[in-house]
Amino acid sequence: MADYIAKTPCDGLLPQTIGSLTLTETAVDRMTSFMPWKGREKTASKALKAACGVAFPGPNETSASGDVQAIWTGRGQCFILGVELPDGLSAEGALTDQSDAWAVMSLRGDAAVDVLARLCPVDLRDAAFKPGDTVRTEMQHMMVSVTRMDDGFQIMVMRSFAKTAVHDLTETMKAIAARA
Amino acid sequence: MRFSAWQVLKEGLTGNKGWTPHWRSPEPKAEYDIIIIGGGGHGLSTAYHLAAKYGGKRIAVLEKGYIGGGNVGRNTTIVRANYFLKGNSEFYSHSLKLWERMEKDLNYNAMHSQRGILNLFHSDGQRDAAARRGNMMINQGDDAILLDRQGVREIVPYLDYDNIRFPVYGALYHKRGGTARHDAVAWGYARGADQRGVDIIQNCEVTGIDIENGVVKGVQTSKGPIKAKKVGMVVAGRSSQVAAMAGMQVPIESTVLQAFVTEGLKPVLDNVVTFGMGHFYISQSDKGGLVFGGDIDMYASYAQRGNLPTTEHVVEAAMTLMPMIGKAKMLRSWGGIMDMSPDGSPVIDKTHVEGLYLNCGWNYGGFKAVPASGDCFAHLMAKDEPHPVAAKFRLDRFRTGQNILDEEGSGSQHNLH
Amino acid sequence: MRIKCPLCGERDRREFYYQGAAIALNRPAPDAGDEAWNDYIHNRENPAGRTKDLWHHEAGCSAWLVVERNTVTHEIYGVELAEDVKRGSKNAD
Repeated sequence: MADYIAKTPCDGLLPQTIGSLTLTETAVDRMTSFMPWKGREKTASKALKAACGVAFPGPNETSASGDVQAIWTGRGQCFILGVELPDGLSAEGALTDQSDAWAVMSLRGDAAVDVLARLCPVDLRDAAFKPGDTVRTEMQHMMVSVTRMDDGFQIMVMRSFAKTAVHDLTETMKAIAARA
Repeated sequence: MRFSAWQVLKEGLTGNKGWTPHWRSPEPKAEYDIIIIGGGGHGLSTAYHLAAKYGGKRIAVLEKGYIGGGNVGRNTTIVRANYFLKGNSEFYSHSLKLWERMEKDLNYNAMHSQRGILNLFHSDGQRDAAARRGNMMINQGDDAILLDRQGVREIVPYLDYDNIRFPVYGALYHKRGGTARHDAVAWGYARGADQRGVDIIQNCEVTGIDIENGVVKGVQTSKGPIKAKKVGMVVAGRSSQVAAMAGMQVPIESTVLQAFVTEGLKPVLDNVVTFGMGHFYISQSDKGGLVFGGDIDMYASYAQRGNLPTTEHVVEAAMTLMPMIGKAKMLRSWGGIMDMSPDGSPVIDKTHVEGLYLNCGWNYGGFKAVPASGDCFAHLMAKDEPHPVAAKFRLDRFRTGQNILDEEGSGSQHNLH
Repeated sequence: MRIKCPLCGERDRREFYYQGAAIALNRPAPDAGDEAWNDYIHNRENPAGRTKDLWHHEAGCSAWLVVERNTVTHEIYGVELAEDVKRGSKNAD
């Protein structure tokens, strides 16, 4: 039996600090996608809340309870981070384990919004994108999930894009830092 | 007036006062034998070949705008015969032969320049495909040379040969390919047709096609009704609208294709270089501008202007292949409307209406086809049978599924080419 | 061009994949015959003006959308979820 070495998606790539900007990897030990069955959206949200304390978030929204975070990730779909969901929830919707399948990063610093402005075609400034808001969009040509935290942005890409995402982010951070 | 070195000298010494318009501007007559709808490159070439080769008389070309204002003046001027499939290859081979004698036939300088085309490849699999295509071209009687990396480097040393995603492995070199001055081609055919009696009527929009008992009788236009025994629709970019006048729905979606030109630079690129993997191709005009383009804008549009994401993609591909282009300033961009067919190949065929003929579906490759498309459409209209080299451009190939001409091998369906 | 996704809000064109005319919502019956299937797969109205086509919000919420827009001006008149159009038996042609 091969001896596998566990590595996080951004192992060896992060953290990086460039000027006043920092990009770090966020460790997420459990991540599950939840897609309520057709016609069961309301009962699914209730069951989710009962199971882990968060309701099914609406489009572009997140919900949180303690360390558990629910991020809307598309039509009829959200990701639950930070908790193992009970199997019983599958009566209400499709559960798929996404743990280790995504690279989760945090971008912090005053100019973080300027970095993303160069990479994503969405308005992520304070007035339009408040803490707890989320978007599915693209970063360069990668599909990405961006969530506003109290102190920065949480950026998620599929694990196979981790190196490219870090490259694009850090190159842009350098460009922004050079202008500061 | 016949153009010659003597004429240039004479006019130069006498104040250039003797030059005359290259074609007349007649009012339409009440009736013609043949009406060509569309005064683009293909329509003018059709009229010219009808009059010069197939004995056509009493011919009119009706153009909604002005000569040279449509796609014939909006393309990137590339002329080539490097097709792979039977049905396409003999047609484009015929077209290149017509290009090679066009300037003599028309007594017109179309600035046809056989500067060679390099189709780059970036993997062993692509090299095999290029070799196979090259063999097909040679079998067709055209020319092809398979160049290795060093061979390409000797011609265009400044490409990024070691690009991590698309390292240059070599190129298929088509020496007889090249470029031409696009609107001079339109002017040359217009003049040639006019000299042979064809009425070229500009600012004359066709608004209806008169059909009685399944037989075409003429057209309605912004300059009044005109009768005709035969009518040819040659309006790629607007084929759906004109065909609808005859009650037809055609297998066409219209999309924008953009092109770009930089400021004039000293000679740097002697050939045409195509980077298929990046949807990018480039040449240098005689004026010095680098002329380049990319893929279509990918949604139905008649806007004749492009969108920024595609511009960005083209520029990224340019930088990927040819980093030095980053020093050049982009001067202009423009867009033309492409008749996109499901299999990426054109239609030259009769219609269900007697005396009504259809020439459409040139996708993003109509310019090089101008001479042969005109010759073959003229043949079809004059003799009521297809020219041998255009016999497979049938409209019903989509319905029957036979002889689909899917050069890219991506499927016979919209949105795949 | 910006498309107002019913779920995500107004987004840049580059987030979307274009499929083609919304005729794809009106699939003929399997036994409808050659002509109906030829029309469905190949022939298009392809209007210069108002049209409805199908877009996929590929980099966003992944919903299929019916976009009513103008092919000459690129003005967008309305966007609906393709599912609503299909299930609501709204006319998609």
